[in-house]
Amino acid sequence: MNQAESGNRTKSPVIDVRKVTREYLAGTFTAVSDVSFEVQEGQVTALVGPSGCGKTTVLRMIAGLEPPTDGEIVVYGNSVHGPGPERGMIFQAYTSFPWLTALKNVEYGMKILKVPPVERRKRAMQLLEEVRLSPAAHQYPAELSGGMKQRVAIARTLAQNPRVLLMDEPFGALDAQVRWEMQEMMIEIFQAENKTVVLVTHDIQEAIYLADRIIFFTRNPGRIKQDIILDFKAGRRFRKKEELLEQDGYIRAEQQLFAWMREEIQN
Amino acid sequence: MSEQNSITSVQTGATMVKEMERPASSRKVPKLPYLRLLTPTSSRETLILGVIGAFLFFLLWEAAHYATDEESRRFLPSPQHVVATLITLIVERNFLSDVLISAYRIFASFFAACLVAVPLGIFMGCFSRMRALINPTISGARYLPAASFIPLLLVWFGPTDTQKLALLFLGVIFFLVALILDNTESVQKELIEAAMTMGASRWEIVVNVVGRAAAPAIMDSMRNMIAVGYTYLVIAEIVAAQDGIGAVMMRAGRFLKVDVIMAGILAIGILGVLTDILFRLVAHFLFPWNRRRKQ
Repeated sequence: MNQAESGNRTKSPVIDVRKVTREYLAGTFTAVSDVSFEVQEGQVTALVGPSGCGKTTVLRMIAGLEPPTDGEIVVYGNSVHGPGPERGMIFQAYTSFPWLTALKNVEYGMKILKVPPVERRKRAMQLLEEVRLSPAAHQYPAELSGGMKQRVAIARTLAQNPRVLLMDEPFGALDAQVRWEMQEMMIEIFQAENKTVVLVTHDIQEAIYLADRIIFFTRNPGRIKQDIILDFKAGRRFRKKEELLEQDGYIRAEQQLFAWMREEIQN
Repeated sequence: MSEQNSITSVQTGATMVKEMERPASSRKVPKLPYLRLLTPTSSRETLILGVIGAFLFFLLWEAAHYATDEESRRFLPSPQHVVATLITLIVERNFLSDVLISAYRIFASFFAACLVAVPLGIFMGCFSRMRALINPTISGARYLPAASFIPLLLVWFGPTDTQKLALLFLGVIFFLVALILDNTESVQKELIEAAMTMGASRWEIVVNVVGRAAAPAIMDSMRNMIAVGYTYLVIAEIVAAQDGIGAVMMRAGRFLKVDVIMAGILAIGILGVLTDILFRLVAHFLFPWNRRRKQ
């Protein structure tokens, strides 16, 4: 943990969440209370916690889809006042546009950024290859499985080359086997694209597998309970999930997270 | 495990006998095969059943015709007589031009209604403040019967075509706006949010995300509302009209020519079915992505 901090002291953080509070229902319900954290370049951070702990709200505020009631979020030195393509978001719900083929979906974001058509097509094909969806390039989302739809959404977001990737329970709607495939695919993407990632999940194993750092939230109101660097991974990312399970320290990390989760549920 | 089994069999000795009978009873033909829940019908069977249904209707009509005593039989002509009258009208009395005039009135007025309702419905569906401003007034207008505008429209436009188009327009516009507003609001919120995080502009989202996502549902609303337009056709063509299916029917009514009235009804029915098919075909080719949606 110290190592991570000292190593990055000279650089300013990519995401700086400063004393952020989010209230709903005219201040009668506090979803997020006084949350502060910094995310460094290239770091994969998982926001974990029980349902209703405000982790998704924090992510949505970083995305600019909701304003904080109090506090400020700064991304690359700019205060967040709304969504923008430098912060790509992947949702739990399938958001690939049903009226566009997989290929056109991936091109859509680049069209918004006014990338010329030839270059757009080339990069889209390349990304579909990367998410192993080339054979389905000309199919509509209705003809694709849940996992494939999500891959379209991931490719579409990556196509805009965002500096920050925000993922809100991206594999929550998928069945266990597909989720596992997607997680291994994400590791490859993290390696290839070197993105700064914030991932919201309630899946403890997923958090440990994908993230370098885990911020654990407590609920009522949503606050940070613990902020840990997964030291046992020593910055490594494992192509195969079973390689992670072999690591010394993996079990301890999982036990620790389950213990926190239990504390939260029983409170 | 076996111990548990033996215990249950002892406890439920009487029910065991019944359970052995059950497989035999399930082999029987299920009761009420035409009233089975959650059972889709093949497209071939759908077609056959549809034809049978129509045939039964004409059979009932035929039966009713012959059941009527001879003096009043001409007030309930047989189906083949009505069809024959329709053909005679077309061949000998240029009825087709009346049909075309009616079709023109329906389509022109409906096109105008869509020109207003589609942008307005999407606009209100996208921006809740605009909805709050406009919708109460418009949804209130749905309770005004279109026919009550006839005197007003006659004063404004006289017995012209414009007056008829305006009536048909008023008959559908308020409902159409309400339906399209609903279609727009049903668009999955995450599609809009995804577009926002990609940096799409407000109007890009309104037109190319919300508009396109809602388009098939809007097309369905249009198909249903043009059918309502047909219900106003005769009302529009009763008052101060010389041409159109409704006018022909009204004239026939004065001379108690029931066969002509019924031929007019039949003509409207045929026109309506063709319109429905047209809308379905357009939707089929316009939204290939929506043909077979799995989720």
